[in-house]
Amino acid sequence: MILEITSGEQEVLPGPRLFNMAKIKLKIDDREIEAEAGTTVLEAAKAVGIEIPHYCYHPGLSIDGNCRMCLVEIEKIPKPVISCHTRVAEGMVVKTQTENVKKMRNSVMEFLLINHPLDCPTCDQAGECRLQDYYMQYDRIASRFAEEKVHKNKMVDLGAGVMLDQERCIACSRCVRFCNEVSKTGELVLANRGDHVTITTFPGKKLSNPYAGNVVDICPVGALTSNEFRFKKRVWFLSKTESVCTGCSRGCAIEIHFEASKVYRLIPRFNPQVNSYWMCDEGRHGFHFVNENRILKPTKNGVEISASMAISYLAGEIKNLSPASLGIVAHATLSNEVLSILKELGTSLGTQVFFSRNEPHNPLSDHFLMTKDKNPNQMGINHMGFKPLSELTQGQSLIVINGLSKKDGELVTQKKAKVIALFSANESELSKNCSLVFPIPTFAEQNGHFTNGDGLVQAFKAAFKPRGESKEIGVYLHMLLAQLEDKKPRVAFGI
Amino acid sequence: MLFQFNAQNQKKFEELLSHYPTKVAALLPTLWLVQEQEGNISFEAMEVVANLLDVSPAHVYSVATFYTMYHLKPVGKHHLQVCRTLSCALMGSENLLEHFKNKLKINEGEVTPDGRFSLCAVECLASCGTAPAMMVNETYHENLNVQKVDQILKELK
Amino acid sequence: MNAPKKQLVLTNRVGIPDSHTLAVYQKTGGYSKALSKTFSQTPDGVIEEVKNSGLRGRGGAGFACGMKWSFVPKNTGKPTYLCVNADESEPGTFKDRLLLEKDPHQLIEGIIIACYAINCHTAYIYIRGEFDLSYKRIHKAIEEAYAQGILGKNVLGKNYALNVYIHRGAGAYICGEETALLESIEEGKGQPRIKPPFPAVVGLFGCPTIINNVETLSALPFILSEGATAYKKWGTEKSPGTKLFSVSGHIQKPGVYELPLGYSLKKLIEENCGGMTAGKKLKAVIPGGSSVPILTAKDVETMMLDYESAIAHGSMLGSGGVIVMNEDVDMVWALKNLTRFYAHESCGQCTPCREGTGWVDKILYRMLHEGGTNEDLNLLTDISHNMMGKTICVLADAMAMPVLSYIKKFPDDFRNHFRRTGSSPRAKVI
Ligand SMILES: Cc1cc2nc3c(=O)[nH]c(=O)nc-3n(C[C@H](O)[C@H](O)[C@H](O)COP(=O)(O)O)c2cc1C
Ligand code: SF4
Ligand code: SF4
Ligand code: SF4
Ligand code: FES
Repeated sequence: MILEITSGEQEVLPGPRLFNMAKIKLKIDDREIEAEAGTTVLEAAKAVGIEIPHYCYHPGLSIDGNCRMCLVEIEKIPKPVISCHTRVAEGMVVKTQTENVKKMRNSVMEFLLINHPLDCPTCDQAGECRLQDYYMQYDRIASRFAEEKVHKNKMVDLGAGVMLDQERCIACSRCVRFCNEVSKTGELVLANRGDHVTITTFPGKKLSNPYAGNVVDICPVGALTSNEFRFKKRVWFLSKTESVCTGCSRGCAIEIHFEASKVYRLIPRFNPQVNSYWMCDEGRHGFHFVNENRILKPTKNGVEISASMAISYLAGEIKNLSPASLGIVAHATLSNEVLSILKELGTSLGTQVFFSRNEPHNPLSDHFLMTKDKNPNQMGINHMGFKPLSELTQGQSLIVINGLSKKDGELVTQKKAKVIALFSANESELSKNCSLVFPIPTFAEQNGHFTNGDGLVQAFKAAFKPRGESKEIGVYLHMLLAQLEDKKPRVAFGI
Repeated sequence: MLFQFNAQNQKKFEELLSHYPTKVAALLPTLWLVQEQEGNISFEAMEVVANLLDVSPAHVYSVATFYTMYHLKPVGKHHLQVCRTLSCALMGSENLLEHFKNKLKINEGEVTPDGRFSLCAVECLASCGTAPAMMVNETYHENLNVQKVDQILKELK
Repeated sequence: MNAPKKQLVLTNRVGIPDSHTLAVYQKTGGYSKALSKTFSQTPDGVIEEVKNSGLRGRGGAGFACGMKWSFVPKNTGKPTYLCVNADESEPGTFKDRLLLEKDPHQLIEGIIIACYAINCHTAYIYIRGEFDLSYKRIHKAIEEAYAQGILGKNVLGKNYALNVYIHRGAGAYICGEETALLESIEEGKGQPRIKPPFPAVVGLFGCPTIINNVETLSALPFILSEGATAYKKWGTEKSPGTKLFSVSGHIQKPGVYELPLGYSLKKLIEENCGGMTAGKKLKAVIPGGSSVPILTAKDVETMMLDYESAIAHGSMLGSGGVIVMNEDVDMVWALKNLTRFYAHESCGQCTPCREGTGWVDKILYRMLHEGGTNEDLNLLTDISHNMMGKTICVLADAMAMPVLSYIKKFPDDFRNHFRRTGSSPRAKVI
């Protein structure tokens, strides 16, 4: 409930009046529903679970009303209207399922398909194509089109890893609107007119903005596909998990698409507080470390050993050190859960916890999503009160979790500190030189939370089990504390 | 060489801008001005126009390709535009078009090797009462027949 | 009703040497009585006068002019614009060109009247790119008007400013559609906008805007100087006044005719236009530009040239472009000519229009060249129905309606193109 003072044209009552977000009552398919003033019929229907088919409408873009798929009938309006553009009104009676509406949808489908190559077997979009989906529902009849199709270019490299098949394009203008309204770079246009309209960049120029990958997500058909993903996998083999991008402190909500412990792509997930419907390309392509270059087994001096053996060695080393000469280095890419375990560990061992972080690199930041801080959880680190590595004392021994930045690596050398153990998911210079190495899962293999730059805490979920013999930090530390008999664990570290 | 308005057209361009509350509104007349000066609108010129009007070059390209009268490629010195829509077709414009093709040995959309003529069919020129009609560059020629057309071709140097 | 002999509304100066010059315009009564009457009233008074005259828009839709003006919201704090629709591209129509070439000052005077009525200080004349002579004449006329203080900071010394600019199109029929026209000025690409909002409320640059046809505006000087009653002397009750008819095709004397509305179409063809050429028989007439349903010779017998009679005959008065066809014309060929036009001119936004225009055109091409089947006729009919009333603008309807009417009124012409043997090539399953 909000309080609203009536003014202007509305009837002025003495004193303020209570409004329930100015709700409007209307009827859709014989269901009485309520919707906020200003919502469109399509959105109001969606909110109560009535899906009106559409192509050009996208909640994150302006309304263009070109595809005509969302036509519905409204009582007292003589012609059918597009539900993506028509606003709800008090007492409106909307019909989305009449014979006439179905015929209109069928005919739009038929129109869209006449010049469509219908190459679903070789189309990367198959399985998540709006044309294919609705076709199954609405048209599915023998084509009445016996003429020559309009031919256009089939393999256009638009740039930014996006491929265009002009024949598959249904001219919905979503990608054009994205480039005009979201990335504000305006590279894509529909050139020509009539059935010769064609998506294109300026001749000789490329699609080149740091958010270009989104056009692939929003293209309702297989006209825009990603070079990276193209033909790698049929989408129906892929599973999805909700996650959070680790690329920067924005922490865009994402979905991980994977199969059998392999990530195939990241796509944005709607979060109105963070990234709306979008993500940047750097974040989108930043998943290869999950698939490649992994440390899969614990090693001692490069030789594979069992986790319990490795832990015993570590326990042995720790026992020989005073708490003050030992230090733990957390990383700003670790989850809040891991960070608090490390804090607990620090407390129970009586050692300091430092942190390291990814250094900023180009492109630094912009006015949209990308931030200068290329760590997903610097805020988490700050909350824990961990210290920067510059506070390291001479000759300290360090247990490093998830690596050191170049700068921090130099600091360690300078201070003649020594990394006695590394817990990491990926191989690095450090992992090659460190005597004890423990494999840990990436963000894709564990549950957790990150606190983004604005202080918003978001959950991410494990897509698959930790790869190889990698174990979550908590598991290792439990084993470790069990071995340091005199220092009993005070908490169970969440396992 | 990068496209540039000559001094006279630069003045005209500035005058054009004063006609509208936004810069992009001057896009159509600016493209006309480019074509007047250069004979056609090159990609370089489009980029310059985009810069002048604070829009993306792609937008300029989409506008230039939306219309039929902007030449993205050079046309002949005499650009023959024969009306092919109903009223002219009823009065024999199809034959005229054939006649041009045979006589000039070019197809629609082509330029004669000497660059003198280019040919295209256009939609209704609002000259239906004086059909068949054509435009040579911007000049209307009406009530045409084969003899008249031959005479016109002869006079065009 | 007889054609009035002398004084008409729109074409009085046509035929006078140098009728396009300011000197001749002023000598023949221009820029005096109409404007003094205009400025001696309130804007609302002018709107009232125009409402009383019953003047309907001559661009095609026939919407009451004064009524449209009264939709302009007042005191919005935004400027109001007038856009003059001089994009005349409807096949068969060439009357605005005549007005632009022969009497540009009459249009300018009409613009001044309209602008005063809707409190507008900036008008754009959107003129089609092909109209070179028209452009030169109207351009010169505007210059003359500025030089004489008829336009500019103080119109005729009054405390009223008006600037008039010309915006040239570049070859796109769709830019005659009023919202495409606005887009063409504002952004460059002439693609119609979704309505509502209507331009009278949200138009050019987001401001209230009136779009009027050249002929509509050219009638205003007469209406203001002679009065609504004088205007209503002509025409019928619901379609008062005179209108220009552009007549073309197989007739002796093609050209633009100014006629009182309600005039007999048959009389226009047989008397004013001197009948058919080469002694041929009349077969079909398009009465209002290529976008309206076609009439048979029999329809022509009873059809009167007014908005209501046209509708009663299953057609529309549209732009008043009358295309007359004789017995030799194959209506499939004629229709194919027009479907190509619409396929070529579709702006390409809406699915049914973008895809439907091309599809219909291809079917007709096949009928003409390879022969068709009854199934093709059903298909053409169904596609047309699927296009009508479902798009952003009515270009889709402008093709679909003729298609339906040609099939309905001239079925034999289509049957002549049926293949004698063999079945439909259509059996492809997707
Ligand atoms: C496809 C299409 C083309 C049109 N072309 C023209 C045109 O060339 N000239 C014109 O005055 N109106 C044209 N119109 C009508 C305009 O949209 C608009 O109704 C008219 O300019 C309003 O002026 P009026 O009220 O004075 O008639 C066209 C409409 C459509 C749908
Ligand atoms: S490429 Fe895809 S998103 Fe872009 S207009 Fe075509 S169908 Fe729409
Ligand atoms: S903006 Fe940051 S969090 Fe969002 S996708 Fe890009 S790198 Fe990831
Ligand atoms: S109906 Fe045709 S011309 Fe009109 S907006 Fe739609 S596609 Fe464009
Ligand atoms: S979703 Fe409404 S017209 Fe496309």
